[in-house]
Amino acid sequence: MEQKNLLIGQSVRRMDAVGKVTGETPYPGDIDLPDQLWMKVRFSDRVHARVTAIDASRAEAYPGVVAVFTAKDVPVNEYGLSMPDQPVLCGPGSGKEGADIVRCVSDQVALVVAETEEIAAAAVKLIDITYEDLPIVSDIFEAMADGAPQLHAHAPNNILIHYKLRHGDIDSAWDQADVIVEGEYRTGYQEHAYLQPEAGLGYIDDEGRVTVLVAGQWVHEDREQVAHALGLPEEQVRIIYPAIGGAFGGREDMSVQITLALAAMKLRRPIKIIWSREESMIGHHKRHPMVIRARWGATREGRVVAAEATAYADAGGYAYTTTKVLGNAHLMVSGPYEIPNVRVDTYGVYTNNIPTGAFRGFGGPQGAFAAEGQMNKLAEALNMDPVELRALNVLREGSLMSVGSPLPPGVTLDKVLAEGAAQSGYWQSTEDGWKRLPVEQPANPARRRGVGMAMGFKNVGFSFGAPEQNWATVEIHGGAEIERVVVHEAGADVGQGAHTVFVQMVAAATGVPIEKVELIGHDTAYTGNSGSTSASRMTFMAGNAIKGAAELAMEKWQHEERPAIATYQYRPPRTTAYDPETGQADPNFAYGYMAQFVEVEVDLETGQVEVVRVVSAHDVGRAINPTQIEGQVEGGVIQALGYAIMEDLITQDGRVLNPYLSTYLIPTIWDVPREVKSVILEYADPRGPWGARGMAEMPFIPLAPAITAAVCDATGVWIDRIPLTPERVVLSLREQGIGAI
Amino acid sequence: MTLWNYYHTPASVDEALELLRSYAGKARVIAGGTDLLLDIRQGHLPPPEALIDITRIGELCDLHQDGDWLVLGAGVTHTRIVSTDLIAARATCLVESCGVVGGPQVRNVGTLGGNVAHALPAGDGTTSLVALDAEAEVILDGERRWYPIRELFVGPGMSLLDPTRDLLIRFRFKLSGPYEATAFKRIMRPQGVALPILGCAAWVRLDESGEYYADVRLCIGPVDRVPVRAEAVEAALCGQPVGSDAVERAIQAAHEGLHPRTSRYRATAEYRDEMIDVLLRRVLPLAAERAQTGQAVPEGVGIE
Ligand SMILES: Cc1cc2nc3c(=O)[nH]c(=O)nc-3n(C[C@H](O)[C@H](O)[C@H](O)COP(=O)(O)OP(=O)(O)OC[C@H]3O[C@@H](n4cnc5c(N)ncnc54)[C@H](O)[C@@H]3O)c2cc1C
Repeated sequence: MEQKNLLIGQSVRRMDAVGKVTGETPYPGDIDLPDQLWMKVRFSDRVHARVTAIDASRAEAYPGVVAVFTAKDVPVNEYGLSMPDQPVLCGPGSGKEGADIVRCVSDQVALVVAETEEIAAAAVKLIDITYEDLPIVSDIFEAMADGAPQLHAHAPNNILIHYKLRHGDIDSAWDQADVIVEGEYRTGYQEHAYLQPEAGLGYIDDEGRVTVLVAGQWVHEDREQVAHALGLPEEQVRIIYPAIGGAFGGREDMSVQITLALAAMKLRRPIKIIWSREESMIGHHKRHPMVIRARWGATREGRVVAAEATAYADAGGYAYTTTKVLGNAHLMVSGPYEIPNVRVDTYGVYTNNIPTGAFRGFGGPQGAFAAEGQMNKLAEALNMDPVELRALNVLREGSLMSVGSPLPPGVTLDKVLAEGAAQSGYWQSTEDGWKRLPVEQPANPARRRGVGMAMGFKNVGFSFGAPEQNWATVEIHGGAEIERVVVHEAGADVGQGAHTVFVQMVAAATGVPIEKVELIGHDTAYTGNSGSTSASRMTFMAGNAIKGAAELAMEKWQHEERPAIATYQYRPPRTTAYDPETGQADPNFAYGYMAQFVEVEVDLETGQVEVVRVVSAHDVGRAINPTQIEGQVEGGVIQALGYAIMEDLITQDGRVLNPYLSTYLIPTIWDVPREVKSVILEYADPRGPWGARGMAEMPFIPLAPAITAAVCDATGVWIDRIPLTPERVVLSLREQGIGAI
Repeated sequence: MTLWNYYHTPASVDEALELLRSYAGKARVIAGGTDLLLDIRQGHLPPPEALIDITRIGELCDLHQDGDWLVLGAGVTHTRIVSTDLIAARATCLVESCGVVGGPQVRNVGTLGGNVAHALPAGDGTTSLVALDAEAEVILDGERRWYPIRELFVGPGMSLLDPTRDLLIRFRFKLSGPYEATAFKRIMRPQGVALPILGCAAWVRLDESGEYYADVRLCIGPVDRVPVRAEAVEAALCGQPVGSDAVERAIQAAHEGLHPRTSRYRATAEYRDEMIDVLLRRVLPLAAERAQTGQAVPEGVGIE
């Protein structure tokens, strides 16, 4: 028993390391089945139009084409993670109202299945589609105006969601404020750009189930969506994930799942599809661009007394996870601070733009961009150190959030801030509080260095009353000694290393070496529902389920049951939704806390921003596998760096102008800071397995505002719009008379 | 997706021409493939029946000095150019431009000939060749002859070469001598994925006092549909004393004569306009200093 738990805190080598590095591990696109056919999608040619007719005769006559499917072939022509507002295939004849309308370029109109991929690709272009164009609305403010084209009957003025928050008495709070700062913050789209574009196989398995082999984030949700659209009971649908090449929220919604299942069901032959990078960039949602107007006030002593914000998010043509993303943004736009008077309005607005949805941080980054920008400007206005100002205002054990409830026990914002600042090398704790150390400037006067910081909080797990649970089964096999432990846990390993951590936790809970643990993972035929790999929840949720199942199985083992098998469902404490009028809620059962410190170098002439160094401090509760945590910190920081300074998806009238990685630039090795230092703090979460908290989104969230603060430190100019493209930086600097000319 | 059906690696120019002829317009020349394969994959070009790989033809991989001239095969890779000391010392701008093309993987297979044949108005290698006043030997419709490099370009992505029929064989240009030097810089995030927002190569000759510009050749791109010399800027510099006044004159002439355009996902005309100043301020003093000292160490190679 003593060796139990020894594996917790060990950087065990990832189970998938060798296979992935050698290329042996198959991803969905690598798998072929005998007798398979290939599928190609005809995406919408228009941004907003009614499909009045589809003539597939030329495609059907093309040699090698097996079938063409359109709206009329889809049994229940609708899907959508938070609400079924999108047709599987747009066009006439499905009986679903409004399904004949394409509302954005991500809509799919027809599928061609053929003997080869080339034939399918050639034939898909031969489908003759008659469109009747409808007016396009591509601006959130125009979309909300009276008289704008209406995209969905359930959303008057295209307002998909409007959250309110009323805390304290904002109107009289301004009187208490000695300084007030205002800002308008704008954030851009972001593409997930996972290594593996969407791909998969649909087929009928040995037990007659419609089976989809694909990369996703939640096998059971995919099964529900597929079953719904196909009009099948869930038991007749099976979802299997082989290796998943990254997800970041981009695989939460359906891409190829329903269409593969549909074709397999109709044709009873294996169907394969691989999206190109361009199809991937057009075919799945993006991070929500947002406009956030904020006004905050503080006393001369540095107490934040009022925070007001209005946030507008472009949802694009369909909801995807907009309601969830904006739920988080709505909470995080007032920051992890104890502010007695808060008023927030958050709007999600349908437009004919590319849909937006889940992406690492789920609205947290946009909220933090405004909140931390406001804090940094307040610090400047008060002539106070930004760390010091935060130390005064962070939420503590028992303090009330803007939603009128306290954070769950184990609040460590103050500790994360202090330890991060101290270990950053940029700040020093003195008798008069926190002080910034000077930063060394390059000899070239056109290149200026600056330092900035920001912090944040992020929920772990599903929020706002969404049902939350995770099932795991543990089987202990052997006689006198344990020979083998089998764990059934569906939680998706999207590349972050979840499976390794699961195995580590099983081994720790049963006291066996990891070599004796066998994982049966994401396959709905063999696992219970574990929820999505999102919201930084899988270590926390699966960990609790695995721990529970392992402890029950060990009890049975002790009572001589052979094999000893136990199933356990972990259910965290209940959460509640926002009150529709006041926004008061008990939104979350667990959080992660973080603070980041950034050094940049700005070329005043060209506007190029180089992120030189990042120190990222996190309370992870318990680092089950420290190396994997560092991997998440480094990956998250670099992804956020791309978001903050490079990634610029350009759209015009609803079309994406740069759906390629040669024109939509993401970070490469040369954009990586010279140092990304992880400060890993372990203040146990009393609810977490072995004390662990979730942490994977956290390194993303405060980076953009920390970078803009550093840029301001270097140049004296606040730039409240990301990405900080060189052009935007130059423009902002020149407006203030800085740089060339 | 099938990108081609047949792949040939001829060992001689004649064999390559014969293969092209036999496919009658259905085959295409490939060097490193770093432009071509993207064009095919992204659907800008239909997949050809055959690819004719010219990188194993001796004449196209040749690199030698001929008196004051350098002769450089069209199939020489960026990496090889960057690691040739003679070019670094006496055609420094070419090393500086080939050294920032893509990342190491792209430079290891991508060729100078491919860069030129692709005929973009801001190909980095091309920009320097224009400033070097290089000549290119081509076989056009079976006939071999030398062209001044600028005469090759017809429009964006278009040259005199028909890549289903013709071959770019090699380049030649004069190496810099006493009081002569070159420099290249570009405006682009150093991250190895794409063409520059703006590039600038300069060749300068100073008079024997080392204090006046005697002759200047300047290529800034993209400012037009094809790579061009900034002749008005060159004229504004000639006879001027080296120094910041000359650079400011050059900037003024550039604003009068050069009109970069907005490309929707790269940069606006206004930004490019301002970056012309930045580039001239960086490139001209560097080239002049090299000409004065007779020393040139390439800058930014491999990281920018
Ligand atoms: C990731 C990436 C980054 C890049 N970054 C840059 C950059 O920073 N700067 C830049 O300038 N370019 C860049 N490029 C473009 C490209 O790498 C260069 O233009 C390169 O020099 C092309 O050479 P290649 O040998 O690969 O040409 P290929 O792709 O083989 O050929 C290009 C074209 O020229 C024709 N061709 C090639 N050789 C001959 C010949 N001898 N005779 C006749 N026709 C010929 C081909 O048929 C084709 O039409 C980048 C490309 C990639 C993929």
